[in-house]
Amino acid sequence: MSGRVPAARRMTTADPKRLVVSLLGVGAAIGLVLLLQGLWNGQLVQITAYEDNVGADLFVAQSGTESILGDRSTVPLAAIEELAGVPEVQQADPVHIHYTVFDLHGEKELVLLVGSDPGDLGGPWELSGGRAPAATGDAVLDRTFAEEHDIGVGTEFEMGGRTFRTVGLSEGTRSWMTSLVFVTAETAQEMTGGGEVATFLLVRTDEPDAAAAAIRASTGLDPLLPATLAENDREIMAGIMEGPVLLMIGIAFAAATLVVALTVYSGVVERLREYGIVKAMGAGRFRILRLILGQTILLAVAGSVVGYLMYLGGAWLVGQLRPQFWFSLQWRHLMVLSGAAIGMGLVAAIIPARRLGRLDPASVYRG
Amino acid sequence: MVPIARRMLFTDRRRALLGVAGVAIALVMALTLDGIFAGTTRQVSRFIDTSPADVFVSQEGVRTIHMAISLVPGAVADEIRQLPGVVWAEPVLFSSDALRVAGARRPSYVIGYMPGGRGGPQILVEGRDPGPGEMVIDDSAATALDIAVGDEVEVLGATWTVSGLTTGMTSIVNTSVYVTFDDLATALASERTASYILIGTEGDPEAVAKSIEAAIPGVESQTRPRFSAEERSVVREMSTDLLNIMSFAALLVSLAVIGLVLYTSVLSRLRDIGVMKALGLGRIGVTRLVLIQGLWTVVSAFALAVAATFGIGAIVASVAPDIDVVVETASLVRAGAGAILVAAIGVIVPLIKVWRVDPATVFRRPS
Repeated sequence: MSGRVPAARRMTTADPKRLVVSLLGVGAAIGLVLLLQGLWNGQLVQITAYEDNVGADLFVAQSGTESILGDRSTVPLAAIEELAGVPEVQQADPVHIHYTVFDLHGEKELVLLVGSDPGDLGGPWELSGGRAPAATGDAVLDRTFAEEHDIGVGTEFEMGGRTFRTVGLSEGTRSWMTSLVFVTAETAQEMTGGGEVATFLLVRTDEPDAAAAAIRASTGLDPLLPATLAENDREIMAGIMEGPVLLMIGIAFAAATLVVALTVYSGVVERLREYGIVKAMGAGRFRILRLILGQTILLAVAGSVVGYLMYLGGAWLVGQLRPQFWFSLQWRHLMVLSGAAIGMGLVAAIIPARRLGRLDPASVYRG
Repeated sequence: MVPIARRMLFTDRRRALLGVAGVAIALVMALTLDGIFAGTTRQVSRFIDTSPADVFVSQEGVRTIHMAISLVPGAVADEIRQLPGVVWAEPVLFSSDALRVAGARRPSYVIGYMPGGRGGPQILVEGRDPGPGEMVIDDSAATALDIAVGDEVEVLGATWTVSGLTTGMTSIVNTSVYVTFDDLATALASERTASYILIGTEGDPEAVAKSIEAAIPGVESQTRPRFSAEERSVVREMSTDLLNIMSFAALLVSLAVIGLVLYTSVLSRLRDIGVMKALGLGRIGVTRLVLIQGLWTVVSAFALAVAATFGIGAIVASVAPDIDVVVETASLVRAGAGAILVAAIGVIVPLIKVWRVDPATVFRRPS
């Protein structure tokens, strides 16, 4: 026996049909875990789309406010003038943010109403059609949300007892829980019955830390970095959903590793005769073990690649059918899962390998 | 009659067990993830499901608690009490806010009920009902936020003392806290109005619900099952869709794995099946043989999987009490029927080769 013969690879590919079935099984199990993990990561990215993309360097909020999702911030519009006196502040604009329920064709849709003045910070950051809201009754809807409800630029719709006209369609402004609807500040104020107050004052500055300190000292309000606000929102979201979601991912992960283990074990057991022949030809225990481990690693690595391809396909399909669901996957997730698959495969391979160690080579030549 | 199919299947116990284990793992994954989704959805209607009320009255057009604002004049409760079939009628107030303590928070329903009445917590696991300035919170939220009876918490901008703990009122969406009706009315500046009227009936609740709508204008009257179904429906649309997608993806992957396991299982028995064919078994006989074997595998795996899923549910309940794993009949039927269908496909596809094979070939020794 020469060590140069790629026996593991040859034995793995000797039965192409079995190989394909094994790879599909392992790939499907790994692909599911990646899909669930990617879906969960995507939701955490989506939920903070507003603070991540609106272009503000600081969100000035009512004292004690820590998030958009979990707090009700109210700041006086008069504070804008105080902010204008802070040298580090380049621009400060009010934004009004309120949850409201849309009733479209009898379906209730939770939307986040965002009101800002034309040209100010706070409006849609990417338009795929039309323009930003400029007058009372103008509204910009998320493109995927609008498509789902057969709304296009120019379509009128009812919300909160008012008639709105869709003047534009925005991109990347929808999460699985809610969609952003952009209107003018005046409209948002009227709809919420609010007086001379805003939800946040959005600030643009090159020196966020210095500006924040100055704003806090002069107004008593809480300036928050978008990253801090996003982190707090993610924490709230995780607090609500994380338990069941992580349990689902954990169970899928356990099932996937068992599928890998079972596939490896079955593969070895089915080939006992072939291993017996290799042993009869003079291969020692170590050589047999190496052969099995080589096949296991090949199966786990190739299965991970198939799983990743299945994840890409699944994510694309969900994106087509339900565009409000985003996917985001980090390489470390793929690495951890592949590592676990290899680990479980190796553990599963040891059991039949021990049996092979005791196998009488002559027995393979009997019927 | 000799049970050839079963005997052939279980002659090689290791091979049979591998098939059963593979199918069982896939089924456990599908059933458990569906169970988490079902449990999570059920939790959101817990207030309704555990209420002693047979009928719930709300503002006309309001059919849910989640993301809804219902205002019913307080006098409506008196009018309802006069109607035939009504045993009792009690107003409750509802609001949404966050339960806050020492930098941590949890979204919450705030429920105001008449002291000693039926709208309050159905179970008290510790402490007592709330008096003025006091509230009862859920034990799961109390554990998560590290709150004990006697501690102070913040809700609706006011400080409350925790007088007792209830249980089962924390869901994926939020938790629930109970205060006195008068305290919540003061906090909301709500005068002589209720959010919902809870009604106990004698006789047919459906008939009482209809008579209330006929007698009192401007109200919506729903039986408990209907109100509960509406609530679950709206929460499913707004909040649990993510878990639904995860659960559905798991079901699809599970079925794919089951099909592949059964396919491999028949592939590995092709020689035996060929022998049966050589001994005179026709196409129908061979097909029947593998279908019965597939059915045996799926039925054995299904029984194992159901037992394992209940076991996992019990473990989850003891480790994470706020996550419910509920195995619904519909879920069992879906997974069972799907497994049988893909198993049938999985065992028949490799038979195509057997149908064409020359029976004599099986007597040649494999090379």
